[in-house]
Amino acid sequence: MIGHAMAVAHKDLRLAFAHGQGPVQAILLGLLLVFMFSLSAQPGERFTPQQGVAIFWLCSAFGVVLIFSLLFRFEEENDTATALLLSPLPIQGLWLGKTMAGFVLLALCQVFFFPAALVFLGLDPGGSLGSMLVMVVSVDLGLCILGGLVGAMGHGQGAKDALLTIIVFPLQIPLLLGGIRIGVGLMQGEDLAGLGDWFGLVLAFDAVFAGAALFLFPHVFRGE
Amino acid sequence: MMGARPLLRLDAVSHFFGSRLIFKGVTCALEPGSIMLVAGPNGAGKSTLLKIMAGLLTPQAGRVERTVPDRAMAFMGHQTFIYPSLSALANLEFWDALYGRRLDQAGIMALLDRVGLKAFALEAAGTFSRGMAQRLSLARALLVDPLLLFLDEPATGLDKASLTLLHGELEKARIRGAGIVWISHDLERDLPRADTLLRLGGRAMTYFGPASGLDVEGS
Repeated sequence: MIGHAMAVAHKDLRLAFAHGQGPVQAILLGLLLVFMFSLSAQPGERFTPQQGVAIFWLCSAFGVVLIFSLLFRFEEENDTATALLLSPLPIQGLWLGKTMAGFVLLALCQVFFFPAALVFLGLDPGGSLGSMLVMVVSVDLGLCILGGLVGAMGHGQGAKDALLTIIVFPLQIPLLLGGIRIGVGLMQGEDLAGLGDWFGLVLAFDAVFAGAALFLFPHVFRGE
Repeated sequence: MMGARPLLRLDAVSHFFGSRLIFKGVTCALEPGSIMLVAGPNGAGKSTLLKIMAGLLTPQAGRVERTVPDRAMAFMGHQTFIYPSLSALANLEFWDALYGRRLDQAGIMALLDRVGLKAFALEAAGTFSRGMAQRLSLARALLVDPLLLFLDEPATGLDKASLTLLHGELEKARIRGAGIVWISHDLERDLPRADTLLRLGGRAMTYFGPASGLDVEGS
């Protein structure tokens, strides 16, 4: 299944960057959000770590919707979804491949969001960069696992983006909350061990969403 | 190869969409090295039947038995199943990876040459004409050396040269021992190539038997 998933992820990344489109829409929306929020502060005023991290994750949450909408749109043109269903690809391999591609694209978006948040929101990253990276990866994983599952729900439907938004955002809340609390803690000098409860919550939701996706994705993608 | 174990067998298959009966009582078998033509008026359920045969839909009644693994089945439908933003070569590389055959690039280029697309291997498939896209779709199907090939009006939009190519490749597949299920609206052209004919109409199978000796009007 891993080999099949890698093939799907590789194909999706090639498609995402064909003609230079990539996750440009998600990056621009995120940067716009950071910039708009920055205008809400008085000149010289700094955002609190809580506000800054929340804005960073808000950008990522919107990014997930746009990225997975793009990834599943690839399977609609010329009905390649049917060809995938007919192929020997285990259907969970398709979910895993989409999740992997989405993870790479989200990480790419965050490469832009993070410095933008530091500059425009006047944040001080503080703490350990390694711990920050572990936190971001853990939360991103959950967001993408969920995006891969819910993206398939909107597959083939005209109101895909609306459906994605309505279903994804409420489910993302525990992950985003964990991301915000851990991020703030790290910026204030705490280490990951001290934030174990929140970190455990994030990992638990990663596991729950992964289990649900493995079970539900075949039904959701086939529209049963 | 008549008498060998059928590649595909349907036994009293019926299908509904909601409460609407599409067809009932379809019983047929596809032998290795044979072509089954599926005919019938629009809305008779030909494409639905093909999807049931391929395992894309589960019938509400009856039994479908395939003796061919997924990796040896290919499907050519109304849609070309190709990614328009990828080149012809990249499209085939992807499907090759999914089917686990791992043809090298030279092998894939040879396949593109076989369908007359070698010169366009690095061009985005989205720029292809309908005929070229259908040739690429044929290459995608041939990639797996299929033992069971499902064709849903594959000749739609093809010029004479593409049609000759399609017929030639189908004949090669048949000689290799593949079974082919082929939906066609042009019985005059395609019936002579078929071994059996399955006709749908009036929400039921109205004929299944040898194609030889049937005239087009009477078929």
